[in-house]
Amino acid sequence: MIMKKYISIIILLLIVSGASAQDFSNQVAAAKTAYAGGKLADAHFSLEQALQEIDMIVGKEILTLLPASMNGKATVTNDDQVTANVGFIGATIHRSYGTDGSQVEIISNSPMIASLNTFLNMPVLGGMMRNSTTKVVKIQGFKSRLEKQGDNENGKPGYQLQIPFKSTLITITANAMDEKSVMDFANQIPLDKIAAML
Amino acid sequence: MLKKLKEKANKTVNEMVDKKIGNESSSGNAGEQNNTINSGNVSNHPTNRGGGGLKNTAPPDVNAAMDDAAKSFSAKDYSDARYSLQQAMVGIEIQLGRELLKNLPGSVDNLQKDSLEDKVMSNQWGWSNLTIQRIYSDGKDKQLTITIGNNLLYTGLINAYFGNVYSVQSNGENEQNAKQIKVQGNKALITYDDAKGYTVIVPLGQTSTVAWECINFKDEDEVMKAVNNFKIDDIKKLLGEK
Repeated sequence: MIMKKYISIIILLLIVSGASAQDFSNQVAAAKTAYAGGKLADAHFSLEQALQEIDMIVGKEILTLLPASMNGKATVTNDDQVTANVGFIGATIHRSYGTDGSQVEIISNSPMIASLNTFLNMPVLGGMMRNSTTKVVKIQGFKSRLEKQGDNENGKPGYQLQIPFKSTLITITANAMDEKSVMDFANQIPLDKIAAML
Repeated sequence: MLKKLKEKANKTVNEMVDKKIGNESSSGNAGEQNNTINSGNVSNHPTNRGGGGLKNTAPPDVNAAMDDAAKSFSAKDYSDARYSLQQAMVGIEIQLGRELLKNLPGSVDNLQKDSLEDKVMSNQWGWSNLTIQRIYSDGKDKQLTITIGNNLLYTGLINAYFGNVYSVQSNGENEQNAKQIKVQGNKALITYDDAKGYTVIVPLGQTSTVAWECINFKDEDEVMKAVNNFKIDDIKKLLGEK
């Protein structure tokens, strides 16, 4: 029964990614035709669409690379989301774990994030600094910012871990967990693989 | 008698003060010189005295970039595919900018275009921030700058302004420094500032904006006459705006 479920999911993923690949090729072909005909604005529009297709495909692939659970909290598959935007916002990839708001949010290819990363790396501006609730940690060699966000109703703290690289920011929100579990979870994410895809 | 005494006293005081200032400034200069020499020895930072600059390269080859994107995509190298698509987009934007500049008038009233100041700026982040600029000048102090931009945020803000009925403003006196007008049938905004002169902004379609900055123009009529030398419909058509 479980096997059947997995096979259906895999088939569905293949169909979805196949459709996107087709869309990409169609958009590039449309861009070429428009460009050859001197319709520059149309060619540009088609390329924007092709770019969004790539963002969607990459986002879906990144979702498959994220750990299936966070400290015992299972993935909420229905909440998996990839949004491709053109311009300043970039693409966003979202995954929820459990029911307490624990999640991973990735914003990629955004110039806004590139500026934010500069900010995060400036201790003077309150970026990579240490105080009673914030400290700088290294996750697989990436300098990151870990912030303790107070206790929840179970008396366990929540954490937010921000891992900036290139024009990408990974934000892990982990509720009702200890620091070690947050770090263990972050270390399960194949950051090098994700960085190579973006 | 008193007057004479006062004049004499002033003269003496002035001479003394001048002498003192002279001594201080000369010793101050000496000190500065020493400091300069010392800092020069200590820091020894070479300063650039010129270079050839960068070579003017052609914009990215759009067809080649699109082919590269397709190849990288087939090989599932999405990062490279993305990069090539962005290069193709930059190439198109620069061509589009040049096309726009070609279609702008060579002179506006008595102002001649300064082609050395022609600018087409594009970046890898897609449509946003494509900026095309041309300056017209009489060689003295009168100048018109036209900037055609594709900036979603900026255009959105101006459109919000037009959507707000309360933004028909007056400062309560007899003069206004901003008002809504129509330029060739398009809603527009004209502002005046003593320091900056006149500015006319016309949002085009969904994401583009064209702005004229007019320095040392006599009045609003002269500004409008100059602005109407530009065919907004042609600009819209090239930018693919409705």
